[in-house]
Amino acid sequence: MSATPLLRVRDLSMHFPVREGVLLRASRFNRAVDNVSFDIQPGETLGLVGESGCGKSTLGRCITRLYRPTSGSIEFEGNEISKLGQRDLLPYRRDIQMIFQDPMESLNSRHTVGDILEEPLIIHNIGDRAARKKRVLELLDIVGLPSRSMSRYPFEFSGGQRQRIGIARSIALNPKLVICDEPVSALDVSIQSQILNLLVSLQREFNLSYLFIAHDLAVVKHVSDRIAIMYLGKIVESGDGHDIYRHPKHPYTTSLISSIPIPDPHRRVDHQIIRGDVPSPINPPAGCSFHPRCPRVMDQCRHKPPSLREVSETHDVSCHLEFES
Amino acid sequence: MKEALLEVDSLVTEFDTDEGRVRAVDGVSFSVRPGETLGIVGESGCGKSVTALSIMRLLPQPAGQIAGGSLLFEGRDLARLTIPEMESIRGNQIGMVFQEPMTALNPVHTIGRQLTEVLLLHKPLSTAEAMAEAITILNQVGIPSPEVRMGEYPHQLSGGMRQRVVIAMALACKPSLLIADEPTTALDVTIQAQILELIRQLQHELAMAVMLITHDLGVIAETCDRVVVMYAGKVVEAGTVKQLFDEPKHPYTKGLLASIPTLDTPPKSRLSVIEGMVPGLMDLPTGCRFANRCPHVKSYCEEDSPTTERIDEEHRVACYRWEEI
Repeated sequence: MSATPLLRVRDLSMHFPVREGVLLRASRFNRAVDNVSFDIQPGETLGLVGESGCGKSTLGRCITRLYRPTSGSIEFEGNEISKLGQRDLLPYRRDIQMIFQDPMESLNSRHTVGDILEEPLIIHNIGDRAARKKRVLELLDIVGLPSRSMSRYPFEFSGGQRQRIGIARSIALNPKLVICDEPVSALDVSIQSQILNLLVSLQREFNLSYLFIAHDLAVVKHVSDRIAIMYLGKIVESGDGHDIYRHPKHPYTTSLISSIPIPDPHRRVDHQIIRGDVPSPINPPAGCSFHPRCPRVMDQCRHKPPSLREVSETHDVSCHLEFES
Repeated sequence: MKEALLEVDSLVTEFDTDEGRVRAVDGVSFSVRPGETLGIVGESGCGKSVTALSIMRLLPQPAGQIAGGSLLFEGRDLARLTIPEMESIRGNQIGMVFQEPMTALNPVHTIGRQLTEVLLLHKPLSTAEAMAEAITILNQVGIPSPEVRMGEYPHQLSGGMRQRVVIAMALACKPSLLIADEPTTALDVTIQAQILELIRQLQHELAMAVMLITHDLGVIAETCDRVVVMYAGKVVEAGTVKQLFDEPKHPYTKGLLASIPTLDTPPKSRLSVIEGMVPGLMDLPTGCRFANRCPHVKSYCEEDSPTTERIDEEHRVACYRWEEI
C-alpha cells in the first residue's frame, strides 16, 4: 500500500430515521448509505455511479460533513473527521469543497458574483479587502469568466456560466478534495463538454482530488481514474475505469453499462434490460439487495448478503458468483 | 417514398412576452411517415418542444400562437382546425407522452379514472367496457397486477411505472402518431432502457409512427430512422440517422457529435467543444443563428440567413459552406 490516502472511508453508514405514528418514534430507518468503504489518493478522481436513490449524494454529503454519519469513519489526511463538531470542522471545510448539480439553486440570487466568491475568503479570514478582490478576479479568470462578472447577479448568467461560478467558489480556498455532485447533468450537451474540460484542467493545475458523483456513465468514465458502482446504499463493484467498462463482473454493473444508449447507429445492440424498479432502502431485500432483479440469482443470494472481495488487484466486487480474474 | 403521415411546412410559432413578441419556431419543415421513428434533437430553447406543442395545438394560451405555416395530418391542416375538431384528433389519432410523468398525470384521480377518461371520450364504450379495455392496455405496457393499479393514485407508483401509465394513456385509442417529448429524460438509465424498448415494441404492434424529441444523441442513434437537428428555432440539418452520424454536414451537428464523451474516448482527454452559447430569442442575429459559435464562419454568414439545401433525397442542410467544410 502506498502512503496515506487523502481520504479514507471505512464502514460508513448514514441511516435516516423514518418517524411514524402518533409519537413520531423512529421505528424504521432509511439505510441511505450502508457500510461503505473506499480511498481517494491525492490528485485522483473516484467516480461514483448509481441510479436515483442509491445513496450517492448522501455519501457525498457525509464526506463534506453536511451530514453527521450514523457510524463508520472518515479519515482526511489521517485525521478522523466523522464525529467532529462544527468548530473543529472549520479547517477541514477549507480542504473539502463541493460543486452542486443545480447552479441556480446553489448560488444566492441576491448576492453579486463578487460577493459569492468572496464569502468563503471572509469566513476563513483570508487577506484584506484588496487581496480578496484580487483573488476573486483571479478565480473568474481561472474559470473563464470576464472580470466584469463580479458586479453581476447569478440570474444574468446562462446555466453553463453559473456552473463556472459554482466551480470558482469551490476552488476559492485551494481545497484538496472537491465533491462534484452531478455537476453537468443540468447542462446541455455542447456546454457539458466545456465544463468537463474545465474540471479536468483544474485538476491538473491544482492537483485536486475529485469524488465525481453522476448517473451518466460515459461522463463518469471520461473524468475518473477509478469507479465505484452503488446500488441501494452499498458499493457493489469498484475498480479502474477500464476494468469496470470492459470487464464488468457484477450483474448490476453489466446491465447498467448495457443500458447506455450508444451514439452510433451502426451499433444497435440488444440491451440486457433489468426488470423491475429499485426497491426501497427503508425495507431492503434480505440477502443481496440486487437479488430480486438479478438475472443470475442463486439460492444463497436470497438470504446471505455478499461482501466486497478482490477479483484482481484493482478490481473489487460484491457478489456470490465465481469470477475469473 | 411513402406518403407522409404528418407534413410540417414552414411552421412559425410566436409567443407574446413582457419584452415583446418572440419567435420560438421559425420556418420549420419536416415530415413523419407512417410507421417510422423521426427524432428531433436540439438543446434547451431550440424550439423542439414548442414544435410538438404546436402540432398538438397545446400551446400556452393566449401567449402562444401559430403565426404561419401548415401542419398537414392525414390531409387536414391541424393549424386551422377548430377546438372541437382538434379535440377529436388529440389523444385519438395523435397521442403524446411528456417528459415528467408526475405532472402529466392528475394527482387526485386514480389511474383507472384517467385511463378510462380518454377511452370514454373517443370511443362508444360503456364504463365497464372501458375499464376492461384499460386493464388490457396496462397489461400491454407491462404494469404488473393492473386490476390493483387501476384503483391507485399516481404517487403510489415509481417514476418508471408512471411513465408506463402515461404511455398507456397516449396509446389507449391506438393512434397513428405518437409524439414523445423527452420521454426518458427524467428516468434512470436502466428504466430508460425499459421504456424505450416498450415504445419500440408497441410501435411495432400498432404500426404507429413516433416523433421522438430528445437531447440525447445516444437515444437518437438507437431508436430513430430519420433525424431533424434544430438550433435556435430553425432546422439546421435533417437526414437519415446514418447520414447524420456518419457524414454530418452542418458545423453544429458536427460539433455536437464531437463533444459527447463516449465509453471509447480516452479518459481525461480534452473533449472538443462548441464555444460560446445559443443566442437569446430576443436578440437573434440577422444571419445564420450559429454564426457566433461557428468555427467556419465567414462575413456573409452574418449578413443573411442560409436557406435549406438538398444534398440528396433525404439529407438537407442549412449552411452556406457545407460543401467546403
